Amino acid sequence: MATEREKHSENVIETFSYDDDIVKKFMLATVVWGGVAFLVGLVAALQLANWRLNLGISWLTFGRIRPLHTNAAIFAFAGNAIFAGIYYSTQRLCKTRMWSDVLSRIHFWGWQLIIVAAAVTLPLGLTQSKEYAELEWPIDLLITLVWVVFAVNFFGTLRNRRERHMYVALWFYIATIVTVAVLHIVNSIEIPVGWFQSYPVYAGVQDALVQWWYGHNAVAFFLTTPFLGLMYYFVPKAANRPIYSYRLSIVHFWSLVFIYIWAGPHHLLHTALPDWAQTLGMVFSLMLIAPSWGGMINGLLTLRGIWDKVRTEPILKFLAVAVTFYGMSTFEGPMLSIKSVSALGHYTDWIIAHVHGGALGWNGFLTFGMLYYLVPKIFKTELYSKRLANIHFWIGTIGILIYIISMWTSGITQGLMLQAIDESGRLVYPDFVETVLRIVPLYWARAFGGTLYLIGFFVMCYNLWRTYQLAPKTEKVELYRAPKLAPAAPAPNEKWHRRLEGLVPTFTVLAIASILVGSVIEILPTLVIHTYVESNDKVKPYTALELAGRDIYVREGCYTCHSQMIRTLPGDVIRYGAASMPEESMYDRPFQWGSKRTGPDLARVGGKYPDMWHFRHMLDPRSTSPNSIMPAYPWLFQNKTDFASLRRKFEVMKALGVPYSDEEVANAEASAREEAKRIADNLGAETGIKELESREIIALIAYLQRLGKNPALFEDVKVGDAGTVQQNEAKD
Amino acid sequence: MSEVQLKEPQNQILKDEEALLLDHEYDGIQELDHPLPQWWLWLFYLTIIFSVFYCLYYLTGWGPTLREELAVTMQEIEAKKPKAPEGGEATDEVYMALLSQPDRIKNGQEVFIGKCAACHGEQGQGLIGPNLTDDYWIHGTGRPTEIAKTIREGVAVKGMPPWDGLLADDELMNVTAYILSIRGSNPPNAKAPEGTEYPAN
Ligand code: HEC
Ligand code: HEC
Repeated sequence: MATEREKHSENVIETFSYDDDIVKKFMLATVVWGGVAFLVGLVAALQLANWRLNLGISWLTFGRIRPLHTNAAIFAFAGNAIFAGIYYSTQRLCKTRMWSDVLSRIHFWGWQLIIVAAAVTLPLGLTQSKEYAELEWPIDLLITLVWVVFAVNFFGTLRNRRERHMYVALWFYIATIVTVAVLHIVNSIEIPVGWFQSYPVYAGVQDALVQWWYGHNAVAFFLTTPFLGLMYYFVPKAANRPIYSYRLSIVHFWSLVFIYIWAGPHHLLHTALPDWAQTLGMVFSLMLIAPSWGGMINGLLTLRGIWDKVRTEPILKFLAVAVTFYGMSTFEGPMLSIKSVSALGHYTDWIIAHVHGGALGWNGFLTFGMLYYLVPKIFKTELYSKRLANIHFWIGTIGILIYIISMWTSGITQGLMLQAIDESGRLVYPDFVETVLRIVPLYWARAFGGTLYLIGFFVMCYNLWRTYQLAPKTEKVELYRAPKLAPAAPAPNEKWHRRLEGLVPTFTVLAIASILVGSVIEILPTLVIHTYVESNDKVKPYTALELAGRDIYVREGCYTCHSQMIRTLPGDVIRYGAASMPEESMYDRPFQWGSKRTGPDLARVGGKYPDMWHFRHMLDPRSTSPNSIMPAYPWLFQNKTDFASLRRKFEVMKALGVPYSDEEVANAEASAREEAKRIADNLGAETGIKELESREIIALIAYLQRLGKNPALFEDVKVGDAGTVQQNEAKD
Repeated sequence: MSEVQLKEPQNQILKDEEALLLDHEYDGIQELDHPLPQWWLWLFYLTIIFSVFYCLYYLTGWGPTLREELAVTMQEIEAKKPKAPEGGEATDEVYMALLSQPDRIKNGQEVFIGKCAACHGEQGQGLIGPNLTDDYWIHGTGRPTEIAKTIREGVAVKGMPPWDGLLADDELMNVTAYILSIRGSNPPNAKAPEGTEYPAN
């Protein structure tokens, strides 16, 4: 029988084997962490439906476990799934074993170590608060290291390949590896102030832009491009059908990679981000529809002619529905990026619906399809039960539908209520809690949908476990034979892209160039911060106590429910005060604009209530705001404020350009204690509680009372801006 | 050890596709070379054309900035606002007169159940907040305008929220009138009196 194509026959035939053990490891990790991610998500969902469900435990509160959920879903579940699929398919597409078994293992164990570190630190409140980049600097370093190991191993494998040309899946893997490296490094430039705390070098607007350039492209290059690569491998394999269009692969790959990177600012529409960046974010998002749909078309039309098979084969069902959800999410995303649609949807559950269409539908189902394909294949047996896989498919699909429909309804309902203004120019629903109460039933519905999805997942775990048990007990190493790749001697009539597919370094450089264009054009001008924010003395830097309070705010994850960004929208301005200016967050490291308003915006909450109100509210939100769904924070009344580190924090801030005098730095601790004592004495007089000054609640109150208190900023705003200038002045 | 032979791919190829099959194969995966779908290309072109014009309009300073747009909307809204509260400040008499208007009392009761009952009890008997049906008042002497003032400004320190802005002016008046109407109703489980006694006259 012919060994490989005869055209390489002048070459030596080599024998090799694939490393499937590493694939098994990553698959197991996918399943284990998937369970954790979904469970934590369910707990978070239940906490929004009923605030009591954090059981009064600090590390179980919503603000701390929401980041745990997102990180687990993205990096632990999806991450391990990507690696399993990449390790499996790359070896086969390159007809070679991974470059180094040792690096593969370092990658595997290093990645699991990162996940465990995340699972410990996030509930402890050790966080940078930048979404999907919450992990503190030592873990950031570890991620960089492990990613480099992965990259070296991957490119080493490409180098050893016995197939001249790279299949489209590999293009997507390359784009993933290089872009994630760039994103992670640029977004994680931070200065440590302790072993588990750091301040980013970017502040306010810059930090927001860099973060959402990262955050959006984490979705693009961690949850989209690698999964497209997996789709290009597993869909044709499972269907035994050729890919629909090679030409489409080329066009949609390059356009996707080039355009995606620009779209980040669509997370910041109507904020203090300069208009031009918002405009770019919007139009590049719109232009993304076609490149994204190119992938969907190539996936779905590969199933052309075999739809009857899709109806009976659960693997194909999972894959087809995953690709469909991909198409849906990549249409919804650009729509949400239109400024006027974002005005309604941003900060609401609509965005939650959007990401879960992508995460549960696209990433989840593609992963499940892949696992149903891989587990029997690798363990050389048949799937234990197709019926159970079908049950999983249906429960999962219904779960997703309930989830996203309830969150669409919730988001649109609350968005409309919050922006509603009556004929006399007043808010129709001035009481925020009223809008929350309206959607709480939908939170229960969402939790129900999530539960179904989780049950389906457990059904899969059982099915895969039984499949594993069917595996033949004696494992034989399979050997493959293929000719060694001859030194590059391109066929004379080769088209340019075909040629490029044989030139890994050139291809990689072009991919990097494609993502750098948008990145540089958007980020570079913003880094020259003085273009937008004149250095001015109108904005006071935080006092030491306020900074301590701010760090507590970050630690507790208040930003997971509260924004600090009054958008340039009438509903926002009437409800919260003048639209936020870029200057206001110029000293904010990290920025706290938030991405979801489960509670009201806090940009100008300072002075809205007396200290005593906050004191009672933080101890028991229901005592001041009946029906509130905000968790209580009793531990802030026990924990002692970390005064000792304030000097170091001030030093770092000063080094980063905050105008603190040397004296202020030297006195940071003392001045914080003094300020705390003043606040505590007043509160003590009313409550009769002594020795409050060392408690964290005092620092937090100092910070909250400071928010929006930059009256000098508004001195020369023209009255022409009418309602936009009304600062929410103190009632105290 | 067992050796596996790489097999020729066994893909299902449709009749109309045979000419489009590329001479290439990766781990058994083959590729067709269908032309780009027309509707897809047009979708792509359209989004690009739209984007170019959109950018020309907004990036060159032609169109308004978001803040300018906001200022215009806010001016429109300001213009619609009623100039001054109709009929000036309400007096005690105005509130007392409301007592004979059942629909306003009914609205006041709805507001009370919706916003106040959580702290003052369904019947005003008092829970976290004081009993509002007795003759004892912490703030003022029980005169309607004083009650209205407490409701409007709140007693934030003690947990009584300020309702100004959260309730419409007429809702504020109605709920005040409703409180006047339940005075002396002696609901069950009433909270012990707080404040000073000012008998109704
Ligand atoms: C689960 C979501 C959630 C989290 C987490 C959360 N809050 Fe809230 N918060 C709310 C809701 C809902 C409200 C509105 C009802 C109320 O006043 O309690 C609110 C209201 C507030 C208000 C009053 C705002 C106003 O204008 O009336 C403040 C201040 C506040 N929260 C501070 C915090 C701080 C500080 C943290 C972190 C320690 C925090 N919140 C965490 C949901 C949350
Ligand atoms: C979060 C709980 C809470 C809510 C909601 C609440 N109140 Fe109160 N209210 C209180 C508390 C506590 C006091 C007592 C204040 C004090 O001790 O100074 C009070 C006091 C009052 C008083 C003054 C009583 C006196 O003796 O002087 C009036 C009148 C009043 N509330 C009316 C209302 C109305 C009307 C509403 C609804 C629109 C309302 N309250 C909603 C907690 C609440």
